[in-house]
Amino acid sequence: MAVFKTPFNGYAVRFSPFHERRVLVGTSQNFGILGNGRLHVLDLPPPGGSGGGLLLPVCAFDTADAIYDCAWSESHESLAVAAVADGSVKLFDASLPASSNPLRSLHEHSREVHSVDWNPLRRDSFLTASWDDSVKLWSLDRPASLRTFREHAYCVYSAAWSARHADVFASASGDRTVRVWDVRDPASSLVIPAHDHEVLSCDWNKYDECSLATASVDKSVRVWDVRAPRAPLAALAGHAYAVRRVRFSPHRESLLMSCSYDMTVRLWDYRADDALLAAYDHHSEFVLGIDMSALVDGLLASAGWDELVYVWPHGTDPRAVMP
Amino acid sequence: MAMRDLVTGGAACAVPGSSSSSNPFGALANAILGSSSKTQELKGLPGSAVNVPEASSDYRPAAPLTTIPGSEYESQQDQRPDARTSEFLHGFHSTDHGGLAEAWDEIHRSPVFPPAQFRENEAHFEEFERVYNANPLQPTWDGPPQRVLSSVLHSFLGSDQAGVPFRPTALPVLGLSEGDKQCIRDRSCIMARHIFADKSEEYIQSQVNALLHSLDIDSNHQIRGSMHGPHSELEGYWNESQGAMIPRMPNPVDGWITEFSQQRENDNPAAWANSFEQMHGANGWASEFEQDLKMGHMRDANLANLAAMEQSRMLAQTLGQNRDPKFQKSKFLQFVSKMSRGELIIDENQIKPGTNSLAGDWANEYQAQYDVGPKSWADQFQQEELSRGTDNWVHEFSKEHQRPDEKWVDEFSKLNMNDWVEEFGQQVSEGAFGESSADVWADDYDKYLDDQLRASKQRSGASRGVYVFSDMNPYVGHPNPLKEGQELFRKGLLSEAVLALEAEVLKNPDNAEGWRLLGITHAENDDDQQAIAAMMRAQEADPSNLEVLLALGVSHTNELEQAEALKYLYRWLQNHPKYGSLAPVQQADSLYYADVARLFNEAAQMSPEDADVHVVLGVLYNLSREYDKAIAAFQEALKIKPRDYSLWNKLGATQANSVQSADAILAYQQALDLKPNYVRAWANMGISYANQGLYEDSIRYYVRALAMNPKAENAWQYLRISLSCASRNDLFAACDSRNLDVLQKEFPL
Repeated sequence: MAVFKTPFNGYAVRFSPFHERRVLVGTSQNFGILGNGRLHVLDLPPPGGSGGGLLLPVCAFDTADAIYDCAWSESHESLAVAAVADGSVKLFDASLPASSNPLRSLHEHSREVHSVDWNPLRRDSFLTASWDDSVKLWSLDRPASLRTFREHAYCVYSAAWSARHADVFASASGDRTVRVWDVRDPASSLVIPAHDHEVLSCDWNKYDECSLATASVDKSVRVWDVRAPRAPLAALAGHAYAVRRVRFSPHRESLLMSCSYDMTVRLWDYRADDALLAAYDHHSEFVLGIDMSALVDGLLASAGWDELVYVWPHGTDPRAVMP
Repeated sequence: MAMRDLVTGGAACAVPGSSSSSNPFGALANAILGSSSKTQELKGLPGSAVNVPEASSDYRPAAPLTTIPGSEYESQQDQRPDARTSEFLHGFHSTDHGGLAEAWDEIHRSPVFPPAQFRENEAHFEEFERVYNANPLQPTWDGPPQRVLSSVLHSFLGSDQAGVPFRPTALPVLGLSEGDKQCIRDRSCIMARHIFADKSEEYIQSQVNALLHSLDIDSNHQIRGSMHGPHSELEGYWNESQGAMIPRMPNPVDGWITEFSQQRENDNPAAWANSFEQMHGANGWASEFEQDLKMGHMRDANLANLAAMEQSRMLAQTLGQNRDPKFQKSKFLQFVSKMSRGELIIDENQIKPGTNSLAGDWANEYQAQYDVGPKSWADQFQQEELSRGTDNWVHEFSKEHQRPDEKWVDEFSKLNMNDWVEEFGQQVSEGAFGESSADVWADDYDKYLDDQLRASKQRSGASRGVYVFSDMNPYVGHPNPLKEGQELFRKGLLSEAVLALEAEVLKNPDNAEGWRLLGITHAENDDDQQAIAAMMRAQEADPSNLEVLLALGVSHTNELEQAEALKYLYRWLQNHPKYGSLAPVQQADSLYYADVARLFNEAAQMSPEDADVHVVLGVLYNLSREYDKAIAAFQEALKIKPRDYSLWNKLGATQANSVQSADAILAYQQALDLKPNYVRAWANMGISYANQGLYEDSIRYYVRALAMNPKAENAWQYLRISLSCASRNDLFAACDSRNLDVLQKEFPL
């Protein structure tokens, strides 16, 4: 139950894998259509005392174009990476002053970089997905990308590492497919025609190495078994507009979180008969960023175009009670 | 800065904290003022150049490079010259920041832009630099367009809030560069496709066209080549090998587009769309869109104008179709829709409100909608009518009805105008169009206007600070609606009281007391947006009314709008006969939280027996999240006014915020004992129980609140969450269908 008002429109939020009370928020001016970006590092207020309240700003960094996504490093607690709309990928160190940041600016993508994901197992590398139809693999110690994966026929909106295999990732694209890759192979190992509309997001199950979820403009979330990709394991309907992001829970195998242009954040148990567990309606504009804390079971975060970031425990009201 | 001053009343620069994002006040100020002043101080960011401070050696992982997965394929994979080129450039810049790089840039630049082309390519040159990222003196992100765009967006929202007309003349030239325009087009295009997923391709194109048209981005503007399908790779390769000079030269895609347009001219549009879909599948849409733009400027000017009007109308129509109140409140959709409805236009590169500007006044809003929406439709209709003569138009109409390829009928059916068309069809077949056909038509047209009006009221009500009146108010015509409203409010019949008070302010728009009580009623009925709108009207009527100023401060605190809240609380102090001397007359916008809190503390010392001062202090401490102090202040006020139910609710809410949910419940109970129909307190009670994990109890209170005001949307959402947490999924259906009977039976209080 903590909130923060950002100057720009929220695009992404991520819990730190090192500090249970810290989040990273990527924001963009003018709804990301034109203008600057700003990356915020925010802390939950200290436990005890007042538990509700304002997220406390730790530091913030500006970029020359919109920030569409961001991720914490899995190897260094203060290191974060931002996907910038000018095609660059920028590395920031939250422990250094703004004048020393960004640590690096990696400019290879020829169009907007839409997503970034740090490898949770092989912790020195990360992926970026771009509107230039490609996915790139980067390492901390290289000034240029290690690999470029070009198979998608349209914008790649998301690339996500498997939580169980250090070399495996999935990519979701506007060409309506999801592709599964092994970075040791030159071509994708599986193509799933996942939806009849653009696929905006994908994420791997943290417990089942074969299971992955996709979110689409067709308003649905689907869960797939990569061993039997012809039909989804589950199709979760309920969002009233395109589903922008989907995340599997780090704590419960069948728990999913999604956010949508219908301005809601939803939690699902894809194995249950009535899959929808909760619909949080606290944002007043499109919700683009969500995350579930890996360190605190049930702690959720969301960021939206209403310039608000919320962090709250599942089952409680994300908004503070109004006087 | 000058523009910001005019937009914001000169307050922007007086907030030193606004440049620091570590200051929540500054962040809030930035949010309200639009563009960040911090960005203006930045001198440029490293672009492709890799700038690694020494400290970064800490971050180098110990693992050797060769362990990177897939690195063994690296050489095979990146054989493309484009990758090699960029890699080379990266290496180049990372190893040398000095004159060598500049020299290289010079060499590289000159063959690309020979002097003869320089002039006409000036705008492109800018973009080239941006793409190339080699010239730190031209940080294009810091140019005027962002500030203007951002300020336009925020100021017209702000003008709604303050009820002040949007001042157009002060805005500077909107100098969007070619690159900016491309950005706007590309991004809004891709986003529109996500947001308007249900709509046809044609519809999405018209959405984007409408926005682009409003921003003066022409269809004959050079379009970035297609990035889709096999061409994209070719083009990317070609461009990058040319030193990242993207759209200037004739490129293969242009040829392809021309070829395609030629092909197009021989086809009828429907068949063309089909065959295109077949040829290019899903990926074709963007190219298709570009096609449309290309074709667009080939049409003559008249057609283009008509098309623009039509697009605006379609957009307004669709936004009106979405009944979800949240969508109608969306600032983003308002932005797009205002632009597209012509309420913001760009004339001679200046942003101005259209002739039908909405000044945050519902009457204007009504007029504007009346002028913009239906009129263009009417014009069109008239044209149709004239073109075929009035005598046989009914006959024509039924014929049209059977010819779906006729453009306008087609469009109307797409716009869910089926009802209307069907109604006509029916009337035609029933012979209703006899001699009086014109009357019938007029009636239907009136009905259509009514619908439009209703939709527009809902839509426009979305704007902050615009009061939205209820339909069908039985109290209109009541001899003394104010007295009736006061009576209903006293009885706790809040929803009824709203209607009576609306009737009062419709009759006497300058009655500050009517507006004030209406605002209070909305706040107690859990609707802060309407409460703020009503209170603003009350303040217009009586700018120094202390109760109104206090209520505005509280409502803005609820909406997390610190600057606004401070403004009104400060004015409360200024206008108070006893404490006015404490508050120096100054720009009310440049307020620091600490100053205001200090002044109120002084006031509290002056007269500790004044409950209102303690209430304001309590609200202020909520704003700064110092809940212990806030609780103390409210408790102090309650010692003086123990029977003020709204004070008990404020105390409870503050205790809940500071995670003293058990205490909060006691306070809410006090409020409810004093005022049993206090919807907000019932709902707050439910929230407190949910926060303690007592979901069954929380459900009881939500259900009770909803029984009193079924329109409390938030409470329905919380109810569903509590049902889920209490594992009562069996009641989801009842919740979703708003079946209060079932819920009340299951969870009696």
